[in-house]
Amino acid sequence: MVIDRRADFEASLTRTAELRGDQAGAALQRASLLRDAVHRFLKNRAAVAGAVAFLIMVIFVTITPLLSPHDPYAIDFGKAYLKPSWDHPFGTDDFGRDLFIRTALGGRVSILIGFAATIAIMLVGILYGSLSGFAGGALDNGMMRFLDALYGLPYLPFAILTLAIFGTVNFWTMVVALTVASWFTTARVMRGQIITLKENDYVRAANALGARWYRILFRHLLPNTLGVILIFVFLELPGVILGEAFLSFIGLGISAPKASWGTLAQEGYSSYLAYPYIIIIPSLCIGWLILSAFFVADGLRDALDPRSQEA
Amino acid sequence: MLKFIIRRVVWTIPVILLVIFMTFVMMRQIKGNPFQVTERAVPEAQQRTLDRKFHLDQPWYIQYAYYVKGVFTANLGPSLVQRDRDVNDVIKDHFPVSLKLGGLAMLWAVLVGIPLGIIAALKQNTKLDYAVMAVVNAGYALPNFLIATVLIYLFAVKWREHTPFPTNGWGGWETWVLPAAALGHAPMTFFARIVRGSMLETLQQDYIRTAKAKGLRWRRVVGLHVLRNSLIPAVTAAAPLLGFLITGSFIVEFVFGIPGIGRYFVNSVTARDYSVTMGITILLSMIIIFANLLVDILYGYLDPRTRDVRT
Repeated sequence: MVIDRRADFEASLTRTAELRGDQAGAALQRASLLRDAVHRFLKNRAAVAGAVAFLIMVIFVTITPLLSPHDPYAIDFGKAYLKPSWDHPFGTDDFGRDLFIRTALGGRVSILIGFAATIAIMLVGILYGSLSGFAGGALDNGMMRFLDALYGLPYLPFAILTLAIFGTVNFWTMVVALTVASWFTTARVMRGQIITLKENDYVRAANALGARWYRILFRHLLPNTLGVILIFVFLELPGVILGEAFLSFIGLGISAPKASWGTLAQEGYSSYLAYPYIIIIPSLCIGWLILSAFFVADGLRDALDPRSQEA
Repeated sequence: MLKFIIRRVVWTIPVILLVIFMTFVMMRQIKGNPFQVTERAVPEAQQRTLDRKFHLDQPWYIQYAYYVKGVFTANLGPSLVQRDRDVNDVIKDHFPVSLKLGGLAMLWAVLVGIPLGIIAALKQNTKLDYAVMAVVNAGYALPNFLIATVLIYLFAVKWREHTPFPTNGWGGWETWVLPAAALGHAPMTFFARIVRGSMLETLQQDYIRTAKAKGLRWRRVVGLHVLRNSLIPAVTAAAPLLGFLITGSFIVEFVFGIPGIGRYFVNSVTARDYSVTMGITILLSMIIIFANLLVDILYGYLDPRTRDVRT
């Protein structure tokens, strides 16, 4: 179970936005800030290791199905429950299907759902948060009250309800279900960012020059939040992937013969006494991805925080 | 302080109404009259009586008002699938089990997690610190169905002769240990990480340096100044943890076959027992809302600055 680390990030991100305000004036200087950030990220060994691990997993799920000689859906009971070997590195399942390729395909499903739901969460959160922060006043107040009301609600019951409403589980209903009750933190953080950035002199200057509100929002405010958005992508992704795995594990996932890591783990759960590796492998894949995403998020946060320049 | 508490409590009422409303709207989206879903054909006259009995012939806002009244008078209506049973009965039967499981998990998390975090912070950058953080990070990323399954595999199957733990069920104390550890594992790693982080931050504060400079014994500095100030984040972290305990209990109850509310919730969705689904969703949400309320008040007490900002 992944625990919400997004809240931890809130405070430090606000500080970052304040500091960035002093430095983000000229485009030239921003370019050097970016170069600095990349430099700092690359010097951070944990972050680089996380990024490499993340890429390895993505490459594994992309390439394996192209190279593997086995058919992921071919049923052959003569080969059921083979232990891991050179021919079947992860063994085979109860239908005799090669688990190496099925793990890779499951990873594709998990990662794709993860990214799609993360993008959906970011879109809703950014829209809601920046609107609230930018508008200010009564609208902001009302929107934040609404958000406070929903804050902390467990996303799983609402995800399950959403799936019940759709009546079917496929890629897109899963994405919607995972988005429904997960965008609150993103919205809150985005609002905080916009409110802090709004106070900067260059925004006042743009205002004084007669720039329209959408120009200020899209030209001056949102580009300055890109770093935070990038961090949040890597903070949301693990939660979403795990949420999908939970739903699949309790039998509400994408239906057979297609599979995600959660579905594979569920299949492994039914025979864990005799063949524990069937549940362990997809679970470790989930853990691998989550951990690498966290290290990337941590590294990004440190890299994008101008305070660490002196250090 | 009293004014703050009153304001905060009054604010809870519209929040509850909103959450009930959202759940209500979601449940209405699920197609079909519950009495036509069953295979038995219901005569038209009987259908009308049923409609009248459950106010299904009324417009939606009247139905909502009836439901709100039901929630506040602790009467959530009958189960749609199990005859002769109310949603209240279901909650009364299954909720105490989940509550106990959650409480034990929390106890585990606090008793193990906080000391681990303190030790890691005091021995920062030693091998001990790295070992603790490695365990915390690894455990943190692994999905808890894997942890639950591995615990069963090791303690209840492989070392069966040496341990008293059964593979599943819910009864005496020996049936509580493994589920509580599985469910409490993620909150435990969370406490460890957050306590370590906030202790490291506190240790750098000027007042700690002052305390050291004026010759206080280190033990006393830690006990008096460091611990007190760095445990506040752990307190606020406890509220969102409740959400994770609920989410996690869905999985843990599933794996251990515990007759708790999480497992029943999933069953009610697949059995289309919508009144039960709705009742449990609202119950879980209200728990979160009240936990948030408690934490806010506690936080207002511990850190008076927050009283004016929050409502």
